[in-house]
Amino acid sequence: MAKYEVTKSLDVMGEVCPVPDVETKRALKKMKAGEILEVLVDYSMSKERIPETVQKMGHEVLEVEEVGTSEWKIYIKVK
Amino acid sequence: MVWTGLLIGLIFGALLQRGRVCFNSAFRDVKLIKDNYVFKIGILTVALSMIFFHFAAQFGWIRMSPPTFNWISTILGAFVFGMGMVLAGGCASGVTYRIGEGLTTAWMAAFAYGLTAFAAQRGALSFIRNGLSSFNVTVANENEMYTAVTGPTLSSLLGISPWIPALIVAALLLWYVFGTKTTPRKSTMDWRLLSVLLAIVAVVAYILSFAAGRNYGLGITGSWVALWNSFLTGAKLNWASLLIIGIIVGATITAVVNKEFKLRMPKQPSTYAKVLLGGFLMGLGATLAGGCNIGHFLTGLPMLGISSILASVFFILGNWAMTWFLYERE
Repeated sequence: MAKYEVTKSLDVMGEVCPVPDVETKRALKKMKAGEILEVLVDYSMSKERIPETVQKMGHEVLEVEEVGTSEWKIYIKVK
Repeated sequence: MVWTGLLIGLIFGALLQRGRVCFNSAFRDVKLIKDNYVFKIGILTVALSMIFFHFAAQFGWIRMSPPTFNWISTILGAFVFGMGMVLAGGCASGVTYRIGEGLTTAWMAAFAYGLTAFAAQRGALSFIRNGLSSFNVTVANENEMYTAVTGPTLSSLLGISPWIPALIVAALLLWYVFGTKTTPRKSTMDWRLLSVLLAIVAVVAYILSFAAGRNYGLGITGSWVALWNSFLTGAKLNWASLLIIGIIVGATITAVVNKEFKLRMPKQPSTYAKVLLGGFLMGLGATLAGGCNIGHFLTGLPMLGISSILASVFFILGNWAMTWFLYERE
């Protein structure tokens, strides 16, 4: 059972820096307020940088969940 | 005492990995996402190193050796290197430490970067650098803080004590670091502590490398060339090649211990072509420029070498140009 009602899931595992960040921003731009984006990332720098960037854009970071060895899910609520 | 290269490499690699120190991110994020977190780590490290290097030279522990100045080679090479690091997904130190995180794209980028640097320095591509060498400018130093012949510095240009520009520039950089707003980020350690540790490693590296007869501080490009030279010709490992081995091993250890090691592969195989091209441009660019973001930015800039100042500016411009081309163009 999923933790959040995820509207869209973005898998950016294995991508080079800063593709995870750029793809996340692009995905958020296409979404509507209240929707939830789930980002699957395995790059530690982006895991730390994405929450800060999307908060600056005005969105809400619900959780950064560790789902495996160097694998995380970032849940972002669009504002 | 070449083994001290390995020791410094282990510590430097661990710090790079833990601190996610990548100058590609540092330069790019300022423009792409208006985030100065990593950039400030770089600037604070340079400011502290500036003071540390001049003290070490004053005490005779090192003699500063800023790289030869060649305006055309430096501008061209630094711009190409700056573009290459965006394609490669990491700078010289970035792709090197990420080898230890299991990033297969970094393996490819580092491979192309080191091998191309070797070719550009002493192989089939060396004609480019040699063809431009008539523009080389060096100065003879009377001041004991420098080696006899080096590239020009702010102090040699102005004919004043190296301490005067060093203290003024360090103060300006510190004013920028602490007087302007820093983008927050939750990371593994405080960014100011990380910068202090990096600057200590940089000056200790210079002292130990000087003692081993190498007479330069941290540098990645020349060190990769030294490693390839050992691999291809059987030459004995030296301080520089051991530094690279140390960085990779050090970063691997901290990545594994902190559960950040994972074999990462991109979904699009074409990404490998992109990072290979990036590595190629980095190797060629760094050789023409006479150094990479570590040799010039982290080591040459604190000595206020004119070539390193110029190279740093064009690293950033090349980085911004490719960032725009890849990520900002709609």
